[in-house]
Amino acid sequence: MSAARILVVDDEPQILRALRTNLRGAGYEVFTAATAEEALAEAAARQPDAIILDLVLPDGNGTDVCRELRSWTAAPVIVLSAVGEEKEKVEALDAGADDYVTKPFGLDELLARLRAALRRAEPGGDPVVEIGELRVDLEKRAVTLAGRRIQLTPHEFDLLALLARNPGKLLTHTAILREVWGPAYGRESHYLHVYVSQLRRKIEPDPTRPRYLLTEPGAGYRLVEPTPSIES
Amino acid sequence: MTERGRRLHVTSWSELAVGILASAGFVALATAAIAVLKAWIPILSLGALYVLAVLPIAVLWGLTLAIPAAVACVLAFNWFFLPPTHTFTLSDGENWLALAVYVVVAIVTSELAVRARRRATVAEQREREAALLASVATSLLRGEPLGNELDRISDRVAGVLHVSHARIGIPDVEQVGELVTRELSIGDRTVGAIATAPEQPLDPSVATRFLPALASLLAVAADRDELQREALEAEALRRSDAVKTAILRAVSHDLRSPLTAIHAAASGLANPELSLGDEDRAELVETIGVESARLSRLVTDLLDLSRLQAGAAEPQRALWAVEDLVALARDEMPADAPVSVGLPDNLPPVEVDAAQVRRVLANVLENALRVSPPGALVRVGAAAEHGEVVVRIEDEGPGIAATDLERVFEPFQRGSGADTYRGTGLGLAIARGFAEANGGRVWAERLTEGTAVALALPAAEPESESAE
Repeated sequence: MSAARILVVDDEPQILRALRTNLRGAGYEVFTAATAEEALAEAAARQPDAIILDLVLPDGNGTDVCRELRSWTAAPVIVLSAVGEEKEKVEALDAGADDYVTKPFGLDELLARLRAALRRAEPGGDPVVEIGELRVDLEKRAVTLAGRRIQLTPHEFDLLALLARNPGKLLTHTAILREVWGPAYGRESHYLHVYVSQLRRKIEPDPTRPRYLLTEPGAGYRLVEPTPSIES
Repeated sequence: MTERGRRLHVTSWSELAVGILASAGFVALATAAIAVLKAWIPILSLGALYVLAVLPIAVLWGLTLAIPAAVACVLAFNWFFLPPTHTFTLSDGENWLALAVYVVVAIVTSELAVRARRRATVAEQREREAALLASVATSLLRGEPLGNELDRISDRVAGVLHVSHARIGIPDVEQVGELVTRELSIGDRTVGAIATAPEQPLDPSVATRFLPALASLLAVAADRDELQREALEAEALRRSDAVKTAILRAVSHDLRSPLTAIHAAASGLANPELSLGDEDRAELVETIGVESARLSRLVTDLLDLSRLQAGAAEPQRALWAVEDLVALARDEMPADAPVSVGLPDNLPPVEVDAAQVRRVLANVLENALRVSPPGALVRVGAAAEHGEVVVRIEDEGPGIAATDLERVFEPFQRGSGADTYRGTGLGLAIARGFAEANGGRVWAERLTEGTAVALALPAAEPESESAE
């Protein structure tokens, strides 16, 4: 397989340079852009497999770029946000970004997010998703945890199915509500918190310390492969 | 005013002595007039002249002196004019009646005069109080701060209270010397205090009538001042909060960008799974170096700014040639930076802190270079104008909107719109701060293409020793 093509967009030349060098070292083919306009032009010209996008650009914001990109490409977008830009971050995620890392970030974190985003983007027709000991059969609408059958209400199943189709991806409150409950429910996030806590009671070994269904405060939820617990 | 108001009461011994002498004078005058007139007019009719003598005494000194004066008149009339003269005995019974009538008339007239006088005085006093309250109300309603008005009000209140000195304080009066203070209050609320000289006690009726009215006026004014102050404070707080939030955001952005580059570069170098060539490694190391320098520059800038804002940047002044200062600043730029310097020969020297003015010029130069399009020259010129040396640094950058010409000197402002100012956003604010600390000014001007930032420094007087 040829190297994945990554477009990095940031107006700080030193950040751009460090990311370009490191991502090349990690085996990716890297293109760069310093403005929103350049970003869209490069994305169109290079057809990248994934885009790393700074939220604050001199000629616009990352959210608008994200929305524009989403109108013609499915390539995953990871936004670079900063503390204090939570609102912009959620807006970008709602506009179609797949994930985010918070500045300043370590390279390992960025690479992990990037790998996960690229993996999700691969076409996979498997109707059965396995995450840790959790097995979700999207076709038969059946869920088992460690082989044991779990009974879910239709909304609970739809919620879990949405998260399972996007393993590791951060889904915003708005995105989940729209997808599971319909467009009219985009702002009723208290619904969601209730369903998530019901779902956790059924799928989490310890609902008070979730390991599958993680909360991203102020942003949304993601379903992840549980990391082996150190103390147990 | 005070004198007249007090004539109703004999209050001191000296005044009493004057009153007694004057009364004796009036009685003697009337006696003399009767002695002259008795040749033509029946003596019993002339007794009425004594009434005229008692009347002014009653008006001026009250009944205290008017009654003894009336008795003195009767005795004098009897002694000098009624037979047998030079005795206090009367031969004619009807003369007794005349004397009695005169005494009664004198005393009743006196009493009436005193009452009329007292009413007039009270009316005058009330009118003065009302006039004062009205004028205080007017000046306070005009919105003048109470503090500025208190001294003027105090002086006029002293007049109304018939004391030589009065001081009003809100919420309390300053204790100076031996003054007697009393509270100015309405109901339970104490508005302030008034201090008056102790040897001049306040007329209790004036005090109970006038002071509460004054207190309620002052209370309204004090409340209004308080509200105004609170509104101003709230506004100031809101503004300073907004400024702080903006600065915090800008600082966090400016700190985070170099940190992000350093973190990304360092974690790349530390990651054994990456295949990095020597050149790649050198590049990452360079990034760490460049960005560390940027961070340290930002910290220096922040310290400079806080020193400037705290007024702690005391300039070490010396005489300098402007071209030396420009050269010092030019040296801080990269050697290949496109800067062209053209200064006239006859510039007067300036007396400034060279390090601080170097920072001013370097920050302005750096900014100009940053906004310049690639290959464009930044021009440095200077001229002596109106006792100042004005150094102008011109760029061909995107220019600054007319409305932003001042804003760019605020901390963490970058030019708005499409032009990207990279760097700390503190440079021009610091330049202005140091320029002002050295008695100079910095401002921006729009050019047909680009921006000129000007630094004006006061030209120094040529040293007298240069003539030697």
